Amino acid sequence: MSLRRLPSEERLLAYAAGTLSAPEAVVVATHLALRPETRVWSELGQAVGGGVLEDLEPSALGAGALDKTLALLDQPAPQEPTVRLDKTDPTLPAPLRGFELGPWRWLGPGVRVRNVLGPRDGDCRVILLKIAPGQSTPRHTHGGVELTCVIEGAYETESGVFGEGDFEEADPSVLHQPRVVSSKPCLCVAALDGEIQLPGRLGKLLAPFVKL
Amino acid sequence: MSAAQCDGGALITRIAQAQDRAAFAELFAHYAPRVKTLLVRSGSTPSAAEELAQEVMLAVWRKAHYFDPKRASAAAWIFTIARNLRIDSLRRGSSALYAVDLNLGAEEPAQPDAILSGMQDAQIVRSAMQTLNPDQSQAIEMAFFQEQTHSQISEALGVPLGTVKARIRFGMMKLRAFIEREAGVAS
Repeated sequence: MSLRRLPSEERLLAYAAGTLSAPEAVVVATHLALRPETRVWSELGQAVGGGVLEDLEPSALGAGALDKTLALLDQPAPQEPTVRLDKTDPTLPAPLRGFELGPWRWLGPGVRVRNVLGPRDGDCRVILLKIAPGQSTPRHTHGGVELTCVIEGAYETESGVFGEGDFEEADPSVLHQPRVVSSKPCLCVAALDGEIQLPGRLGKLLAPFVKL
Repeated sequence: MSAAQCDGGALITRIAQAQDRAAFAELFAHYAPRVKTLLVRSGSTPSAAEELAQEVMLAVWRKAHYFDPKRASAAAWIFTIARNLRIDSLRRGSSALYAVDLNLGAEEPAQPDAILSGMQDAQIVRSAMQTLNPDQSQAIEMAFFQEQTHSQISEALGVPLGTVKARIRFGMMKLRAFIEREAGVAS
């Protein structure tokens, strides 16, 4: 079986249906922004959503529902929630531009990480990882599913090379140690569930600093 | 086929071009009750669903000029607005994420013509859904309701998770192939 570098059809359907958790949806949306050819699946999901909507039994609405809505038509649209622009990064792919970002933090030699603030689901949250050429993240296993999308550069794992726009779904049983093989730093967005456990002495050494 | 016919695309176009309130009322009569059902089946209380259904139709009015009948059917477009507002009501601030899915951008269509013109044709999509076997269409339809994860679907149906995923995957591939064929690939 060839290496899969896009989300599964069932994950794309869940994205289209709006049932993915926010952190997972952020990573999938980033992939879709960078890889328009995958959008056929999410758009197909939306088309199916339209079919599902059309076939639903209509529910009775309260008296005056239409009049109430008609009365609102001429009012100005509400303001979009504002984000602090100095805390966002306009160079990121579109789905990430609307989120405030935490500060970059050191996570071992050549590895930096920052939080994407907002999308959370229990312990699951979104981070940006920047890894210098030739560097690896410390070997780690995963508490839960990790979804990753490469924004810039490329890394290599035991399974193969992942380049710009590629989507990786980590297997929780696999010890993961991506190594950057691009000549520029590799920037990734990832959804992490649970704590990353960094095994071994380096893990113990880093644990107080890493707070992932 | 649904009993009530409604040319949603034409109505949205009339709203976009002439702020046509009669067109809006007609669109509202057809879709607001269905959006309410969708939201109830996704876990909203009936009163919250009714409130949100009205907000969805208000958003349809405000965003009508973004609607591109060459990219999506009216039903798919309204479904997408409903999805976004539902997500927004659950967790504030996620709308930025999904903006691209409303085809709001001025970017070029990413899809080959055949699949694109097929997907914007609600009738073709419906016929495609009828070609699925019952297991496949059930798994796909369940994915749209009640924040169902695939594991929950697997439990509800009493089949292994892998089977649910396979039904969704093969169902989606079958839909895509059917739509591409129906829309007439000029090869």
